[in-house]
Amino acid sequence: MVRLFKRQGKFNTLSKDNRKQLASSLQQNIQEVKYLFSYDLNKDFSMRSMKIKFNNKDGCLFYYSSIVDSSRINMHIIKPLLENNGDSVYNVVSIENIEEIKEYKKVIQNVNSGKVILFIEGEATSYAIDVADFKHRAIFKAENEPSIKGPQDSFTESLNTNMSLIRKQLHNNQLINEGIQIGERSINEVNLVYIKDLVNDEILDKVRKKLTNISVDSVRNIEILEQYIEERPYSIIPTVLYTEKPDKATSYIEDGFIVLLMDSSSACLIVPVTFWSFFHSPEDRYLRFLYGNFTRVIRLFSFYLSLMISATFVAIANYHSEMIPPDLLLAITASRERVPFPLIFEVLIMEIAFELIREAGLRIPSPLGPTIGIVGALILGQAAVEANIISPIIVIVAALSGLSSFALADLHLNFTVRMMRFVFILAAGAFGMLTLVGAFLLFFMYAASFKSFGVPFFSPMSPHFLSSEDTVFRKAIKKEFFRPGYLHPKDIQKRFKS
Amino acid sequence: MMQNSGFLRTKEIIAITLILVGIKLSDSTPALLAQKAQNGFWLIPILSFICIFPSFLIMLYLLKKYNDKNLVELMEAITGKWIGKSIGLLLFLFAFFTTTLDSRNYIEQVKLLYFPPQSPTMVIFFVFIGVVFFGAKKGIEVIGFTSWISLAFIKASALLVVVLALGDLVIQRIFPIFGSGLPNILTEGVKKASMFAELFFLLIAYKATKATSMFVKGIIIASIITLFEITLFYFIYISIFDYNSVNKIAFPFQDLTQFIELGQFFTNIETMFMVFWLLAAFIKFIILIYLTTWIFGEIFAIRNFEPLLLPFSFLVIMIGLLPFNAVINELILRESLLTIMSPFFIILPYLLWGGTAWGKGDLK
Repeated sequence: MVRLFKRQGKFNTLSKDNRKQLASSLQQNIQEVKYLFSYDLNKDFSMRSMKIKFNNKDGCLFYYSSIVDSSRINMHIIKPLLENNGDSVYNVVSIENIEEIKEYKKVIQNVNSGKVILFIEGEATSYAIDVADFKHRAIFKAENEPSIKGPQDSFTESLNTNMSLIRKQLHNNQLINEGIQIGERSINEVNLVYIKDLVNDEILDKVRKKLTNISVDSVRNIEILEQYIEERPYSIIPTVLYTEKPDKATSYIEDGFIVLLMDSSSACLIVPVTFWSFFHSPEDRYLRFLYGNFTRVIRLFSFYLSLMISATFVAIANYHSEMIPPDLLLAITASRERVPFPLIFEVLIMEIAFELIREAGLRIPSPLGPTIGIVGALILGQAAVEANIISPIIVIVAALSGLSSFALADLHLNFTVRMMRFVFILAAGAFGMLTLVGAFLLFFMYAASFKSFGVPFFSPMSPHFLSSEDTVFRKAIKKEFFRPGYLHPKDIQKRFKS
Repeated sequence: MMQNSGFLRTKEIIAITLILVGIKLSDSTPALLAQKAQNGFWLIPILSFICIFPSFLIMLYLLKKYNDKNLVELMEAITGKWIGKSIGLLLFLFAFFTTTLDSRNYIEQVKLLYFPPQSPTMVIFFVFIGVVFFGAKKGIEVIGFTSWISLAFIKASALLVVVLALGDLVIQRIFPIFGSGLPNILTEGVKKASMFAELFFLLIAYKATKATSMFVKGIIIASIITLFEITLFYFIYISIFDYNSVNKIAFPFQDLTQFIELGQFFTNIETMFMVFWLLAAFIKFIILIYLTTWIFGEIFAIRNFEPLLLPFSFLVIMIGLLPFNAVINELILRESLLTIMSPFFIILPYLLWGGTAWGKGDLK
């Protein structure tokens, strides 16, 4: 990218010489590092000098005290260096991970990722010793994607913990955790997790290229990263799957998908996606064949309801009222008799009110939570009806469409459906079923033309690919023989007929 | 640019064909046929099919022989550049007028059945073709996917109509079996052979599938299913409405959906069928306008023909609005078009075939 504005002022950076080597003089090194990290200003940047016993030279340690485990530094670095004999640093310091570095650039990177840097007088090499201890939550229950049957744990804001949750389920030496560094100022690492002898190299390269092409000062977490790697940022349809459940992520890895993790997020990204990855929930597979498919039927139905019920009602009541059986029609008319607004206006009021309650309910501090219930149910429901602003039937329709939107577990799909709902209501208001069907067809065709990392959105249904045909319904687990063919995995068969 | 990533397969072609041709069972074609043939009209599709299918197979054979050519290129290869282009142009005109007249027909149908009489035809036309235009913009592959996924719903709703109509059938109404007489039926059968003309328009997409054998397989299977479907529905129309009413009912399918009921409570369920019928109609015209533009693009060697969809959609509306009313559109214009197209599509393949045989002899 072209930089549009010059940087102003003076900075303690390596801007001139990016690959500046370490000096062999300890004093010079200390001065340079102090300068780079603004030692006099930075309160948690620490330095500890000492006389090293085994080679009888001066040494110095640098680290951020906030992101390292200080007791480990005491016990396993400072104490051995002061007391023990040996022939090299490796034989004195009792920490499992030590790396030799020769450039200042690397010093900066390593200190930032929670390592202690050891400089020794007369050596142009320093040692990065891993004592990182970034604080994070413990592993909690998955709160946003709850399930009744199946593992309950969820990712937390720590890469190592997350990786351990994945590896716990997938004991496979081909499971690769590849790191790619992104960001110019804050260099963060994105980890690609995939199975090496399954994943399609073309897709993997595409993902890698996307990641390395990001040129921005910092990408803090996976949620921001998602918006950098997605193909069509203005589209209403998501192209990246986001989940906080390790078991879901693992099942995708097993099928040849690629999972992206970052240290700072309690979720992962999965690419590429199809419509079905948003539609499915891991629990469908944990439940027995019939039960799981029953859940799918309910979900499909609620997909229709939340997307279309209000629009269908508008279209039928406005344009095709002959379709409604006479008794029902009379009931609806009677209830709308004293309402002054046009039907479509009523529906819009109610839908917007529901969105309001939903958004407010999400942001409201939990002690105030019950207020939402009172305001929502009493004022918007009962009082609005009694004041003849809204007819009761609209309350039912809006409640139905709002309620069924909660059955669509995936957050992204949920937004797509909730936003499209308004488009459909307006379409239905224009020319009834004609425009409603037209709008739906166009939406559908738009989705069908969609590709995520080269994978068509409705595959494997159409276009057809060899797969275990897990689309609206799934087969019995014993009948699933293939991995999804649209990913072109290196090994497509996952089960053999016995 | 046409994006052909080889995603289309047999089933997408089946779906495209079934929707494009099969929807004939639900427009005003039955009324057109019943004018002369009376209650023998349900046999006409079979006769037409027998007339036109050999020609169609010859076309497929020729396309296979000239392996890497599409329809227009094939005609140019056989008859020379200019004659080939002229035949292509004729084909384009046929496709275009089929699109135009049929769309007017469908608009009248929608308007008559679901909107108050004073609603403006033009606005409905614009809305309809607008949707068709944006749909066609997505390209042949997406059209294929959409056709396949919606096919199940469309056919399920058609099946439901059949099931619900079964109770009201009076089989005796098909007698006398040849209606107004065998000669009448035979002439009508040949004259209206072009009710399967869409099959020929589809040939332009010969190379859109992963392998051309998939296309051939798909289109042959689908045309046989279509014939079966159309005959079944015409049979139902005649045995429910009898000949006296069928030639007065413009849209027997819609009348049928208004006639049937789902139990005692849901008595007016036509809107339910309308949804799927509309879906099919939208897709039919999306396919048709896409194919028309494609043929045009091939004739004038415009590889990137998709931008032409907009002017063509506009033309379809403008020319479609010209006929004074639906009756003229249907009974005069559309009937004439069908009658003109029939000999063209029946004879042309034989001529092309003869041309190749002759050409070969010449070479030897």
